Amino acid sequence: MSDEKTNPEAKSSIKSVYWRSPEEKEGVLNQDDLNQDIQKALNTQEQDSGASRRSFLKLAGFSLAATVAGCSRGPVMHAIPYLVSPEEIVPGLSYQIATTCAGCTAGCAALATCRDGRPTKLEGNPRQSWSGGLCAVGQASLLPLYDSHRFSESMRSKKTEARREFSAITWKKADEEIREQLAAIQGAGGNIRILSGTITSPSTLAAIDTFLSGFEKSGHVMFDPLSASSILEAHERTHKTRVVPHFRFDRAKIIASFDADFLGTWISPVEFSKAYAKGRNPDSSPTVFSKHYHFESRMSLTGSRSDHRAVVAPGELRDAIVFLWDVISRKAGIENTLPITPVSNKVEESIQSLSTELWKHRGQGLVISGSSDPTLQTLINRMNHALGNYGKTLDLARPSLQKKGNDRELTQLITDMQEGSIDALIVQGVNPAFDLPPEAGFVSALKNVKLVIRLSPYQDETSQLSDYVCAESHSLESWNDTEAIRGSYSLTQPTVPPLQSARTLRETLTRWQGRTTSDRDLVREYWRREIWPTVPMTSFPSFESFFQKSLHDGCYEHEGSSGAKAPAWVDSDLVAPKESVKPKAGELGLILYSKLAMLDGSHAHNPWLQELPDPVTKVSWDNYACLSPKTAKAKNLSQGDTVIISSAGGTQIRLPVQLQPGQHEDVVAVALGYGRSGTERFHGIGPAWLEAKPSVGSDGRVGKNASVFLTLLSGELGNNGVSVTLKPDGGRSELACSQDYHSLTVPPHLAPKGGEVRDAVRSTTLSEWKNDPDHAIGEHHDHDKSLWKDDHLHPGARWGLAVDLTACTGCSACVVSCQAENNIPVVGKDEMRRHREMHWMRIDRYYQGEGTDIETVHQPMMCQHCANAPCETVCPVLATVHSKEGLNQQVYNRCVGTRYCANNCPYKVRRFNWFDYPREDRLQNMSLNPDVTIRSRGVMEKCSLCVQRIQGAKAEDRRNGNENGVETIEVACQQSCPTSAIIFGDLNDPESKISRSVATKRSYTVLPELNTKPGVFYLAKVSNQDQHNDPTTSAHPTSG
Amino acid sequence: MDRMIARIFVVCLLLIGVVVVAVTADFHLPGNHAGYAPTQPINFSHRLHAGELSIDCTYCHYGARKSRTAGIPPANICMNCHQDVTSSFDTMLSEKLKAIDEEREATRIISPEIAKIYRALGLNPEGLPDPEQDPEPIQWTRVHHLADFVAFDHSVHVAGGIACQSCHGPVQTMDRLRQDRDLNMGFCLDCHRNTPAIASPDGHTTHVSTDCAACHY
Repeated sequence: MSDEKTNPEAKSSIKSVYWRSPEEKEGVLNQDDLNQDIQKALNTQEQDSGASRRSFLKLAGFSLAATVAGCSRGPVMHAIPYLVSPEEIVPGLSYQIATTCAGCTAGCAALATCRDGRPTKLEGNPRQSWSGGLCAVGQASLLPLYDSHRFSESMRSKKTEARREFSAITWKKADEEIREQLAAIQGAGGNIRILSGTITSPSTLAAIDTFLSGFEKSGHVMFDPLSASSILEAHERTHKTRVVPHFRFDRAKIIASFDADFLGTWISPVEFSKAYAKGRNPDSSPTVFSKHYHFESRMSLTGSRSDHRAVVAPGELRDAIVFLWDVISRKAGIENTLPITPVSNKVEESIQSLSTELWKHRGQGLVISGSSDPTLQTLINRMNHALGNYGKTLDLARPSLQKKGNDRELTQLITDMQEGSIDALIVQGVNPAFDLPPEAGFVSALKNVKLVIRLSPYQDETSQLSDYVCAESHSLESWNDTEAIRGSYSLTQPTVPPLQSARTLRETLTRWQGRTTSDRDLVREYWRREIWPTVPMTSFPSFESFFQKSLHDGCYEHEGSSGAKAPAWVDSDLVAPKESVKPKAGELGLILYSKLAMLDGSHAHNPWLQELPDPVTKVSWDNYACLSPKTAKAKNLSQGDTVIISSAGGTQIRLPVQLQPGQHEDVVAVALGYGRSGTERFHGIGPAWLEAKPSVGSDGRVGKNASVFLTLLSGELGNNGVSVTLKPDGGRSELACSQDYHSLTVPPHLAPKGGEVRDAVRSTTLSEWKNDPDHAIGEHHDHDKSLWKDDHLHPGARWGLAVDLTACTGCSACVVSCQAENNIPVVGKDEMRRHREMHWMRIDRYYQGEGTDIETVHQPMMCQHCANAPCETVCPVLATVHSKEGLNQQVYNRCVGTRYCANNCPYKVRRFNWFDYPREDRLQNMSLNPDVTIRSRGVMEKCSLCVQRIQGAKAEDRRNGNENGVETIEVACQQSCPTSAIIFGDLNDPESKISRSVATKRSYTVLPELNTKPGVFYLAKVSNQDQHNDPTTSAHPTSG
Repeated sequence: MDRMIARIFVVCLLLIGVVVVAVTADFHLPGNHAGYAPTQPINFSHRLHAGELSIDCTYCHYGARKSRTAGIPPANICMNCHQDVTSSFDTMLSEKLKAIDEEREATRIISPEIAKIYRALGLNPEGLPDPEQDPEPIQWTRVHHLADFVAFDHSVHVAGGIACQSCHGPVQTMDRLRQDRDLNMGFCLDCHRNTPAIASPDGHTTHVSTDCAACHY
């Protein structure tokens, strides 16, 4: 270790490096706000301390009465066993059923953990080659199954002058009436359309085809609110096939993303995250580590993870792509006829370095874009073609089928509807009345359609305009199949008997044709007819064995490419991408994006997803206007001030401001999917007490609908085609941000000696790591002498976690997984605002850098299971003690709620039950994990390292008389992680994966100077900034 | 001075009140219900089944071998025997002899308690589904109940060779099931502290934990 490392001055240079919000960076938070907070807390205490003798006696009397009442014999409890027990169900024993996630169109295979005939947890299915883990949305898609707000039957509406009135009807009656009306349309040679989101189910598509073939004029239109229509369109032009290529991030050495948030929301995030992490392993030899360039105007999750992030002005993205094309075409010797628009110096530099790298690694690069302009996407295709990436990092032989939406057909449909040439419209999956801007004219055109039938699990904007609303079933209670990537199939089977009398689209359409085939048989027959003949004869003796095996595994994949041929490149004329909209002076470019948890808003009913802090802004329960701190300062705005965003067309919405470092100054970014009808239900979510405030805005909904600013022009659903003006309206709306408190920083004059430096996150660059692994991640703390005897012996296992910050993308799948596994309550916006969130896991997000040149690190933070745990020494009732296996145990029944432990925890990971959180919804309670106690009011809780899974595995070992089970324990956060960033295991076993990880020189513990000896280790983040002309390398804190 | 005496009097009265209430109240901590023997919907006798007939406990309570919960047996387990054994041995034998004497088929005599199982399953006396009678699950009254914050795993204890009677008492002598012991933490720890390791019937040594998180999570 060099002398500089131990020099306190060198240390203090590290101190200023990482910050979590602009306020913290400027020191405002530490001084004024903090003092105010403390003052506020003191004031409240003073008021409270006026407890009189009288009130004391009252309380004493009450507690005596409560004790007497509470200690009498408990109520008589009943137990109702099965009459005839299903053979495979043993009460209390969990089992897994393979299924497919229906959270988005990516269609990852999943496993549903069930108990006593009902699913309680969803996890990734390791049998599917390309997926793995399950994202936050997938994890949370369990909750709607037990949602009492779901439709339980069909409804018919009666149109009156002003509004529609809905009345419930039975399926039988609805089927009869609808069939009658459809027959009339059929007889008159009428025109029928089905409008849906992307459908990846081949059997459903077949059922739709059969249904529509009975009509003279018919059609099926798919559209995606998060559209990839431009990519499909571009491939239709360049390859004569309308597909999205299967992007292979694991094979790419150079990744260039132009505003494609592929780790967060773009097409298939779990798959891409897994492949991305696979291509970035600093410990591999020879080194496999891709380099990721990202061009964007706002700060996306993917951008925050990139190695080289270039911030582009609104409208400049198009120019940057054209510029890259120009450079690459020259290198490839292709004549470029496109005119170049100059880009900013920084972007030009990035493009030059990127093009050099791409050219150097031809066939190992990958250029992608999230643009909605097909001509721009065609240019991206041209680049990938010129670089020889097709067939290598872009697979067209087995393309992705996860996005099929066609914006052009959607526009045509709306025009047809306006003209009155559509007689019947069946809408399923999407919610066009909400997803599309009013200018698109969908809502007004719907009035010209005689029969509108809606299949939906919930009452929403579109169903309110429909003649019939039919209850659509949840994926966990129905049959389905999925072909997400060509040749890769997965099946969905019911994990529970249907909880509502709902049906799938496939079954419903079949019924309307007068057939009563069950849904299971529809799927099975399709597989027998279409898929079984393509299965190699040698693999399975019969169709039955093939189907049973696929059902058991949840998926079936054709080996290799099974002879599939990629479509060839078709030359076409070079068309100039259209000029993009650039904001005029005084205007800002509006970027509409989707948040990782909310996506297009179809999960707005899900409280877990509403409460999940956004991975970048860390705000939950709202959407907001992201502004760069500089712009906000210029406009004299601070976090939480409300502004009115208005476009030239007169559209307005009012949103609070969120300061977002790393964003371009001329940009305001707003999330889609908020302000949906149905979110009124969250008005009173969270504990009911005197000062509780609703989780919804003044209009009764969560957030504001920003889709009013979308554009549907010339067959493209655009998300950044509008310039807006911002006007402060003097109001304030405090955002529920979970990052600006629980700060680990200590003011220098208060810090203990050697404790000034709080390098909770550590990072390095690939070259430093390769050249000098001993010093690359900074000082490894030598433990000082301890006051404590080393008397925590771990004779058997010592459980621990290792978290790889290089692999972690911050996607927050683990947070929701932990919530589902450990029965963590939802507290609502007001409690989040009061810093009383209950998530056992949080993902700390740290920034580093100046201006827009920001580097971000995401750090999952949970109980560190310290050997010298500060919480244990202060607990007066020994409710938190150490186990022989290294777990920091929290004993709920012993805890009296002094909160000393939370106070003394340096990592701020303990959560206090301020209330008995509402559990009145008995249907919702079926999602609870019976292996984990529901905590009551006044009790402290925190990460238990999924001790119920450890105990479960041990019990299984004892039943089976072996010791293999404990080696395969996966904790909930680890199982869900798409990038395998979390490793759980036995630290005492030198051969375990965790011991090998901890032994690497990237491993460190947080706040080592406190000598808490955590059982949770972190592996420093490594980024690939290796380049001869890269200035950031030398500016790195740990280098000097 | 009078006030002083009055105060002491009030305090004493309060203390006596507390003691009286504590003694007379049915004071129990969760799980401490020794002696609890509620009436059940079917007069099932453990003395007859587990004692006299020596049926293994885990034949009916098969969950105890595999799962956390031992489980109350489903009615189809009862029917494994009771589709043939429909009444007491004596009743059935005398009917059979009588039938031989009278040269006729013996009629099925179903005892009133066993008839309740038939009714629950929606079966007619012949053991066939009765269209008039919808199946209706049997609602037993729970005898043993631990607090929610304790996780007790039956299967681990059964695998470790711990006799059911160690916790449940002489069930084989009880006509109506009674909770035998106060299932409190002291009761658990008596074993867990004094038996650091036990050898399972399969020869495997199992470490007995006294960690809080062995049961509380």
